[in-house]
Amino acid sequence: MKINPLNKITNSELVNKHIKKAIENDTFAAKTLVTINVAKDVFAYGARFATTMNNKEIPEEKRPFVASMDLMSGVVTAAMQIGVGFSLANPKFQDKIWDKTFKNCKFNDVVAAKKGFSQILALIGSTILAERILVPLIATPAAEQFEKKVMHHNPQSKQKKTQSDFYNELNRITFSEFEADIKDGRKTAYKFDTTY
Amino acid sequence: MPNIRQVAATSLEKFSKNGGEKVSNYVNAAGKAVIAPLIIMNNPFTHEDEESKQWAAIKQPVEAVITIAMQIATLSLLYKGIDKLIKNGKVNFKFVEEATKDISKIPEKIMKACNGDKDKALSTYKEQYNEIFKDRVGAVVSAATYLPVLAISNKVYPKIAQKLVNKNEDKSTK
Repeated sequence: MKINPLNKITNSELVNKHIKKAIENDTFAAKTLVTINVAKDVFAYGARFATTMNNKEIPEEKRPFVASMDLMSGVVTAAMQIGVGFSLANPKFQDKIWDKTFKNCKFNDVVAAKKGFSQILALIGSTILAERILVPLIATPAAEQFEKKVMHHNPQSKQKKTQSDFYNELNRITFSEFEADIKDGRKTAYKFDTTY
Repeated sequence: MPNIRQVAATSLEKFSKNGGEKVSNYVNAAGKAVIAPLIIMNNPFTHEDEESKQWAAIKQPVEAVITIAMQIATLSLLYKGIDKLIKNGKVNFKFVEEATKDISKIPEKIMKACNGDKDKALSTYKEQYNEIFKDRVGAVVSAATYLPVLAISNKVYPKIAQKLVNKNEDKSTK
């Protein structure tokens, strides 16, 4: 008789304990949902960062900022979503909002509705408030700094210098000056290398 | 006019029964498509040039649309497949099997909600179990869809961004 490989997972103690806890404990269910969302985001942002840097269809001078934005969003989003999502999943806070919002409403299944409320509040808090409002506000300046300091790309000088600019600058130095610089251990001519 | 709070209350019951993964994807896509670009474009703490901000902002809705389309398609197929396996008895859960033999193993919370009706409690327990299992498998599949989504998005987004940014440049020069 063939055994379905899925049954190995569905019969494992770990999976069953997790599902039972998610059914019994609304706060745990909400926190799990937030954690899964964060894990998916971190994976997605990491993949985005890697692919953006190698995406030749994005103009070269725009790539560092777009990629830095992806990476910084991933880092900040994990911390913010966990912070906001877990705070909103707090049962005392949830009970207060529930009582204020749904005091006079009719429910067929109040237990299910409360579970849904707990999850959706944590989800909206972590996904809309944290990830989409707070994260970009923090991630955009962080991405600028990352672009400048780690990727060594200065957005102020995005106009790429041409080869003739290089020779024009180089020609300003006379051969004797160049010789003197080499003798004294200064690297006058080499300083141009990094910008081209 | 329908009472907004009552509509929200009914929606919450539906949400709870349909599982979190799909709704989580909808909320995520809506936030990414609408709010993220507004914040990127109007962020007072950045000194990045306008054009770079436009490129980063346009990426958000394009990716959100491709992501949600891919996730809806794959999750619908996946959930149908899992439902079929469960219906045909090809997938069994250890704790549900145990609860079928010994009704005291059903969580008290469900027993209370079903007013002690054992049959209803067992079917509710099975239903919630299946939904959470589908959610967890769905989350893994949703994450896996990011790879084809990125491949498509990396091809499509620069073309759209190029057109939109050029359009804005044309307008500002006129």
